[in-house]
Amino acid sequence: MSYARTRIERIGDAALGAGRAAIELWLVYVSTIAGIVRGFSRKRGGRGRPKGELVRQMFYIGNKSLIFIVVTLGFIGMVMTYQACLQLSRVTGDFSQVGPQFMRLIISDFGPTLTGLMLATRVGAGIAAEIGSMKVTEQIDALRMSGVLPIDYLIVPRFIASLIMTLMLATLGSLITYGAGGLTAEFSFGVNPNTYYDLSLLRPRHLVLFVVKALAYGAAIPVVAGFCGLRARGSSEGVGWATTAAVIGSSFAVIVLDFLISAAALFLTDGDL
Amino acid sequence: MIGERMFEGIGAGAIRIAQEVGGIVVLTGQVLRAFVPPRVDWRELIKNLHKMGNRSVPIVVLTAFFAGGLMVLQSGPFVKKFGATALAGWGAGYAVLREMGPILIALMFSGRVGANNTAELATMTVTEQLDGLRALAIDPVRFLVVPRVIAMIVTLVALTVIGDFVSLAGASIVARAMLDIDWSTMYYSFVDNLEPYDFLHGIYKSIAFGGAIAVTSCYFGVTVRGGAVGVGRAVNAAVVAAAVSIMLLDFFLTYTTG
Amino acid sequence: MSVTAIKLADVHKHYGHRDVLSGITLEVARGAKVGLIGPAASGKSVILKLICGLEQPDRGTIEVFGESVVGKTEARLGDLRQRIGMLFQNYALFDSLSVAGNVAFPLEQRGGLSTDEIAKRVETRLRAVGLAGSEHKLTGELSGGMKKRVGIARATVADAEIVIYDEPSAGLDPVTTQKIYDLLVADQARTGATVLAVSSDVVALAQFVDEIAFLYRGKLIYRGPAKTIFDATDPVVRQFVRGELEGPLDEAKQVEDEANA
Repeated sequence: MSYARTRIERIGDAALGAGRAAIELWLVYVSTIAGIVRGFSRKRGGRGRPKGELVRQMFYIGNKSLIFIVVTLGFIGMVMTYQACLQLSRVTGDFSQVGPQFMRLIISDFGPTLTGLMLATRVGAGIAAEIGSMKVTEQIDALRMSGVLPIDYLIVPRFIASLIMTLMLATLGSLITYGAGGLTAEFSFGVNPNTYYDLSLLRPRHLVLFVVKALAYGAAIPVVAGFCGLRARGSSEGVGWATTAAVIGSSFAVIVLDFLISAAALFLTDGDL
Repeated sequence: MIGERMFEGIGAGAIRIAQEVGGIVVLTGQVLRAFVPPRVDWRELIKNLHKMGNRSVPIVVLTAFFAGGLMVLQSGPFVKKFGATALAGWGAGYAVLREMGPILIALMFSGRVGANNTAELATMTVTEQLDGLRALAIDPVRFLVVPRVIAMIVTLVALTVIGDFVSLAGASIVARAMLDIDWSTMYYSFVDNLEPYDFLHGIYKSIAFGGAIAVTSCYFGVTVRGGAVGVGRAVNAAVVAAAVSIMLLDFFLTYTTG
Repeated sequence: MSVTAIKLADVHKHYGHRDVLSGITLEVARGAKVGLIGPAASGKSVILKLICGLEQPDRGTIEVFGESVVGKTEARLGDLRQRIGMLFQNYALFDSLSVAGNVAFPLEQRGGLSTDEIAKRVETRLRAVGLAGSEHKLTGELSGGMKKRVGIARATVADAEIVIYDEPSAGLDPVTTQKIYDLLVADQARTGATVLAVSSDVVALAQFVDEIAFLYRGKLIYRGPAKTIFDATDPVVRQFVRGELEGPLDEAKQVEDEANA
């Protein structure tokens, strides 16, 4: 009897903890937006973000992830096309739809989402590790002692940089994936490039989805990762924990956002995508 | 001027990647060697199995559910337009079993268990516990790394199996809720169009992914340098390396065992 | 203008199941120099953080210059914190900034000073702590003593009205310790700031501050003039400052260790 009770208590505790964390996470997000607005309305230069930090963050997120994104998305493009062609060769043998359909899927989903997942891993871990080590060595407290709001100083630049860079990397990643798929189709299944590189199925709504998803992921990753970093406690263990939580949290956020946005799009367009 | 520095940077980066790849290969060799003769610390193995399995089930189940749902959402409009609802299960199921399932679950596993593992080993290294083990004439690879590698592979395969089923269930639920395709249609769609090999293909991959995640996470944990900052960096490097390995292995396995 | 710089009344703080502070009452007058000592992990740093509003107490009131720091938002606390300079136990220097960047930081955030003025004040401060010429070094290139001195420079560069030192000489050799304390004395004589210093080096601390308070098991069990601390009658304090092996501290720690095990 008592065993069942403590089990339930533990689940209840976990649920409460998750609920509290979710609320705190939402507050971080709201504070980040507030911080951006504050940044626009501030006249004097004090208590703001460091000069050039935005560019530095854009470089860190964008440039340094470039090869990673190109490699991972390239390979996955090849694999997806291979699997699709393989299955089609068993069923119909007609490859004419592969290119156009793949393009549609990449723009409306796989491009931004796969980029988002890869960035959740790389950028999420990076941001959490950086901010986490600062928290653990009391640098965050030192910032607060100088009257600086950690969210304004640390998270806002990363937020803006991530929005911009995720959009750009998603674009690049999508192109790479599509191109890699084209190469696979051509060399493994003899698909004519002219048949493959066909944008006829693409519609404005797909592009809207692309942008919405890329921006959503770009917003979610730094907020989740920054949140985990700011909560780090202890010493090296704490940093490790924060980084782990950031990677899972950001990845999961990308998947859930993808699901929600896709479902909403399906609902709004009455299944016509 | 800028060109010079760029080349230096690329060169330095290439050397560093080569070093890491080399180190990982060496560690893999050490792990394999520890299997001959097979002498594993059972307590460590059971402890790790328990820890890694328990921890990951919730997140993997959730991820698998959403992944399955996603696949249906993607193939849904296409299917509906052509009225081919019987194929809805095929589209989602094929993608899930062969690719999305193993990959997404492996990525989540890398985040949950791999990163955690790196953090643990890194903290142990930084606090000189590994040196302590060596001083006691205990080989850290045999004692710490091998049980974790075995535990991670076993756990990931088990999770992929569970995840596959949850994905298919998730796909069915979303198909019912959003596309008005009922359960029996989905069920028969799965059964008629999916082969056991599709399932196995995914499992082969998860074995490979598990090994990759295990070795990379242990490697970066054990070669950490610096204090708290170093641990963060090690975890970062580990998840990135694991993600790249997963993609590369996926590519390789798809082509050779497709 | 209130006479009391810092005032804590019946402050309680717990972390999880551990009660760290159980009813702290402390008043520090303007311009006074107070030292805080006690066994390791007794909560001394926690008191310092509570005063700065970096943490919130579970119960009790904390006032700085007559204004409460409990329940205030970060933005409001910013103004109050600009009047406090703090040296953290582990320096908490910003890794991404140079030495000059670190010391200039509080001034830059405050606003109202030109870049040249800031640079001049940074240079003056660095010279005062004996680090002239190290402006461009990064934190990774500094020794422990140098990092401490950068921390002190950063804490005092804005001529704050309250300066808090958390272990200013921990981990430093005796000569450097003496230099650091001479520095602290000179700074305080110049600015007349209120000082609160935590230290495990009671001898050095006693030369610097006027009064010393002893934190033991969550309570302040003693407060008296620094000059007579070594003749304290309280057995716990006596054993601690004299570094004796036997006494109530020994047994009490054993009981605590068993309780925490």
